[in-house]
Amino acid sequence: MKDAQYSVLRKEQFDGFISRLSKLQRVVAPVARGYNNYSFEEVSSGNGISLKYIPTILPPKKYFMPQRETLLEFDTGRGLNSEAVVECEKMTIFGIHTCDLAGIQCLNMVFTERPRDYNYLMHKRKINIIGLECNEYCDEYASCALVNASTPSGGYDLFFTDLGDRFIVHINTQIGENIIESTKFFESAGKSDLEDLTELRAGKRTLFTKEVPVEPRYIPELFDRSYNSKVWDELGERCLACGNCTLVCPTCYCFDIKDEMDLGLKSGRRNRIWDSCQLESFARVAGGENFRKERSLRQKHRYYRKFRYPVEKFSRFFCTGCGRCSRTCMAGIKLKDTLNLLIEEFEETVSTLMEGNY
Amino acid sequence: MKRPKIAFFDFACCEGCQLQVANIGEPLLEILERIDVVEFREVMSEKWDGPLDVAIVEGSITNQHALDRIKQIRERAAVLVAYGSCATIGGVNGIKNSFDLEDIRRYVYHADYRLFPTAKTRAIHQAVPVDYSVNGCPVNIPEFVDVLKAILLGLPYEVPDYAVCVECKLNENVCMYDRGVTCLGPVTRAGCNSWCINNGNICYGCRGLVSNPNTKGAQEVLRKYRIPEDLLLKKMEMYNMCRELDKNEQT
Ligand code: SF4
Ligand code: SF4
Repeated sequence: MKDAQYSVLRKEQFDGFISRLSKLQRVVAPVARGYNNYSFEEVSSGNGISLKYIPTILPPKKYFMPQRETLLEFDTGRGLNSEAVVECEKMTIFGIHTCDLAGIQCLNMVFTERPRDYNYLMHKRKINIIGLECNEYCDEYASCALVNASTPSGGYDLFFTDLGDRFIVHINTQIGENIIESTKFFESAGKSDLEDLTELRAGKRTLFTKEVPVEPRYIPELFDRSYNSKVWDELGERCLACGNCTLVCPTCYCFDIKDEMDLGLKSGRRNRIWDSCQLESFARVAGGENFRKERSLRQKHRYYRKFRYPVEKFSRFFCTGCGRCSRTCMAGIKLKDTLNLLIEEFEETVSTLMEGNY
Repeated sequence: MKRPKIAFFDFACCEGCQLQVANIGEPLLEILERIDVVEFREVMSEKWDGPLDVAIVEGSITNQHALDRIKQIRERAAVLVAYGSCATIGGVNGIKNSFDLEDIRRYVYHADYRLFPTAKTRAIHQAVPVDYSVNGCPVNIPEFVDVLKAILLGLPYEVPDYAVCVECKLNENVCMYDRGVTCLGPVTRAGCNSWCINNGNICYGCRGLVSNPNTKGAQEVLRKYRIPEDLLLKKMEMYNMCRELDKNEQT
């Protein structure tokens, strides 16, 4: 750790820092919505921010890829004239947990692949990211340690860690440096600040442990062997196909494209809107064929899209362990339970095989 | 279509959905440039008995007289739109179907009840073929405008066949079940942009149920949230009693 990369913000300066920053640009941060729900909302002072929060209803993805977004404006009255549209504004997101930082890293990989998604990339270019460390688990639904997302590994401009009376702030980019300089509330970090950070991280290593009894490197194989598992049928029987699990997931990015005409019926817009693989219509194609008509197949697909397919394509899991899908599921389908069931079933098969051999 | 001739009709209903047209506000002027309203009892006294490009029908079919009349309208109209819950799913009028028709007539009309013949409540599509549906109690104006545009373009309009939860999540509402309130969003067809929940109310199921609800799964959910099944069924019956008639036809 190089000291120059770290600054300190005293707690009593926090409110001033956010107020100052919000005068320079739009700032959004986690805000309490009641009933233990939080969401990223625009703030103008530090007081409204929930520094201790469980993952927000929607992940910060909503700023990179808004729920509904216009991609194109067209006017058929003027010879099929069309123009690409990106509506984005400069902003800073404060308080992103490490799981959600990982989520943004996943989306970055997806959307920089060719063909590039320019709307996503334009949003990304305008967004500054300030992370916030979880010193302890948000709640029992999290599985961030399993997927190595409980400590920071890049993907931010600044990263805040709460040290009681002060934050120690890791400066990761020039943008981060600029924020520190332009707001003028920060002090340079000393030896004791860095020691406290090291101590906190060491403590976290015993506090955050693999939430599911499996070595992460064996997960792909576990899934390879679980393709015909009865676990999927069980999930299918319970799932209501409401789509909640995927709509709140920080790494789900499926969308639908819809054209919307003006009343004059000549000009209009092409919009994209979030879609979900859990909805019955998602895999229905012309002629009425549906590739995943059964809820069980759709649930299975969701899990493979988190733990198997992206390992092949992007060499990482597309689950950040944020726990949102489990928290929001109407039917009480929980990601950790599902993984546990797959592991149990796998172990049973192995032991029967062994018995057969001896 | 060149300024299509459009008429509004009503059957058993409160006419609130037609009133929504008046609530459209400014875009209404632009809409009126595109269509030729020839009959609309709520806002004009002219009548029209010639052929129609589009008939917009509010209300449910509740007696023989209504049945004859809707058949006539259907014959005159190239396109027929079921407009509002009473028309699309029977709506609250369907509650009648949970009672004995004889009893219910006596209850409402007392001694003179024989003068008022009645029949099981039906949604419009249970009486005549329907081309477009605008669900809701009342209808959601943006959706009505979308349907109107689809009609003018000669395109089909697909009512989403997934739960209101989808739109509710997109709008980032706090889930009603987290607030400890029973909401019909998880089984109700979307398309209203989770209008009620955005405004702090629960979903009453006024748009009808998704076509393939997971009934068994839903019972699990009720157990999880300790909600008596009976309570939920009653809530569903408020708007969705006429669904029974669809089921009977299928079997
Ligand atoms: S699958 Fe669930 S726990 Fe994993 S990232 Fe998505 S919402 Fe979070
Ligand atoms: S949130 Fe639960 S009930 Fe809804 S689609 Fe996902 S798994 Fe199914």
